[in-house]
Amino acid sequence: MNTAYGTVTPAIAGAIADIVGAHHVVYAEPERLAPYGRDESVEADGARPPELAVRPGSADEVQAIVRLAVAHRLPITPRGAGSGLSGGAIPIHGGIVVDLGRMNRILEIDTENLMVVVEPGVVTSEINEALRPHGLFYAGYPMSLETCCIGGNVAENAGGGKAVKYGVTGRYVMGLDVVAPSGELLCLGGKLVKDVTGLNLLQLMVGSEGTLGIITRVILKLLPLPRASADLLCLFRSPREAIGAVPRLMTRTGIIPTAIEFMDRTSLQASCRYLNESLPCADAGAMLLITVDGNDPERIVDDYERIGEACEAAGAVEIYVADNRTTSERLWRIRRNVAEAFKVFSPHQSLEDIVVPIAAIPAMVEAVERLSATYGVPIPCYGHAGDGNLHATPVMNPGWTLERWRETLPRLLTDLYRETARLGGRISGEHGIGCKRKAYLPLVLDAGTLAMTRAIKRALDPLNIMNPGKIVDPEG
Amino acid sequence: MRLVVPIKQVPETTAVRMDETTGTMVRDGVDAIVNPLDLYAVEAALRLREAAPDGTIEVVALSMGPPRAEVALREVLAMGADRAVLLTDRAFAGADTWSTANVLAAAVRRLWPVDLILCGERATDGDTGQVGPGLAAFLGLPVLTYVSRLALQPPAQCRVERLVETGRERLEADLPAVVTVVKELAEPRLPTLRGKQRARRAEVAVWTAADLGLPAEDLGLKGSPTRVERIFRPRLGRTCERLTIRDSADLEAAADRVVAVLNARGLL
Repeated sequence: MNTAYGTVTPAIAGAIADIVGAHHVVYAEPERLAPYGRDESVEADGARPPELAVRPGSADEVQAIVRLAVAHRLPITPRGAGSGLSGGAIPIHGGIVVDLGRMNRILEIDTENLMVVVEPGVVTSEINEALRPHGLFYAGYPMSLETCCIGGNVAENAGGGKAVKYGVTGRYVMGLDVVAPSGELLCLGGKLVKDVTGLNLLQLMVGSEGTLGIITRVILKLLPLPRASADLLCLFRSPREAIGAVPRLMTRTGIIPTAIEFMDRTSLQASCRYLNESLPCADAGAMLLITVDGNDPERIVDDYERIGEACEAAGAVEIYVADNRTTSERLWRIRRNVAEAFKVFSPHQSLEDIVVPIAAIPAMVEAVERLSATYGVPIPCYGHAGDGNLHATPVMNPGWTLERWRETLPRLLTDLYRETARLGGRISGEHGIGCKRKAYLPLVLDAGTLAMTRAIKRALDPLNIMNPGKIVDPEG
Repeated sequence: MRLVVPIKQVPETTAVRMDETTGTMVRDGVDAIVNPLDLYAVEAALRLREAAPDGTIEVVALSMGPPRAEVALREVLAMGADRAVLLTDRAFAGADTWSTANVLAAAVRRLWPVDLILCGERATDGDTGQVGPGLAAFLGLPVLTYVSRLALQPPAQCRVERLVETGRERLEADLPAVVTVVKELAEPRLPTLRGKQRARRAEVAVWTAADLGLPAEDLGLKGSPTRVERIFRPRLGRTCERLTIRDSADLEAAADRVVAVLNARGLL
């Protein structure tokens, strides 16, 4: 299929330079193009630098670039921070990378309508920093909020630690400006809480991984910022006990925590070792990290005591409490640093993102343990227990050859995904399909769904130039 | 045996803001925590208690501050301190390190007999490191600073290792004594749910200036020989030269310029 695309000639590069200014174009400089050839998915195959990278400053410029790409049939890959975990921003067919990092302004904080209007290149945590003085916040952010961009969050429909209570990115996206694969600018939605005017193209774009257009403006719904929060770190003897506590603590206490994070023994110990954290967890088989938030500090105390007691009833052997930001940070950094800790153990790993109904988590964790034993591959397991989203992460044994790892991983993943599907789950909860999981999509989606997905892609992007090679190929 | 741990409630380090006109810290709307360096002293005291036979050591936390400093004392109770005393009085407000150490010394005398006073190295807000040694001076006790290891030697001695610039120094001292500890001693434990619940129910004793019997002229701003004249952000006298890099040629030129500048200053 690659042969169908044109190449970026010096003349085309010149035309793009005329659109955005020469110093916002990188062309024929392999060293400066190389970083555009990868993202944070370590094992994503087919990583390849683009022929040209461009940093537009406005939607007009994005439109002009897309029209040029249409005219010359050049593949386009939109890119934010490059912090994705499914290869979504990797230009596997070469062509043009549209780096939206320059479009990084917060355009409007609308306190009357509780909305914020931003450009796609804004780093997600900056939105909340700007909102804090107004007593508001954007609740849909993922764990990587200090590095990722909001445009990428929308394109991937990112989730994160707080999804149990607040849901994921899509819930907060009220409006989008999108440059379609034709070069046309679509203005979808608006500052509206309700809107059933026409097909819901807005939510079609959310999570479309840059395959249906380039996001140039985002309207997000805001919530009042909770004034108080507390975290509980609960140690359990086994993953089964820890996971088993999750539905019970919600039904017994009637409290929806903000976050319920899970880490198995391997993840917990690796992270503590990495951080030099002396938490006495040597005997723990698993942990839950539970956050509650709200506006009344007394109520928070009551909430965490009831949740803590429910965890004790479910078998927690020790529970630590953090009710100030310093202690809270000490607990959360254990959870946030798992992936980094495993990179120290082995640089070759496949960060997975399976999601199952929450009641199926214990069975899923056991299936992961079985697969780990069968293949002789460590698969530490951590993730968002409260919404069934587990980052089971096969890690290459340091003693293995890369060939053996590359040969084993696809078989292991196939088994893992089959087991996930059998339990009613899907292969990605928040990281996306990209090029990393594309081949496995038929394991979890039925033929009709796949055909309709392809039909949509063909209809909206007939030349297949918008982030080609991601999610599905237009012709199955 | 009785161990006393004086602690200070401080604003969260990431949130410290100064009012440049009054020269004081802006405390409104800022989370307050136990001075992180004091937690090492608390941990040291709890470990000494755990190493001794049950019921032979009592750990008392002490804090001078506004009424809301009680929250900090409850955090230390949750970690495992046996009891807590809050020294609070409008007359204490604005105290410098001399006046603070004087008030704490009076409270320690009221708790007497005391065998060991364990302090953090310094507070993360004022950063003076003077209150621990000041306390020793007022009480006429030996002081051991920058302690990284600590053991009791019955009946009435302690053995410490100090982190000093030239290495480690091992010392023995007679009790009672004042010790200030450094981070290397032991990572502070986290409060447990049960500890938190116990701490919520615990009674925090409140002592005022009247309870300590100190003359009013020694208290607070009035009793402080040092004054904060002015607080300001120091201006760094750096001169910058901006090199803009747009292509490979610029990059080469920029690298040459950096080398030239470093050479001119004899830094290469």
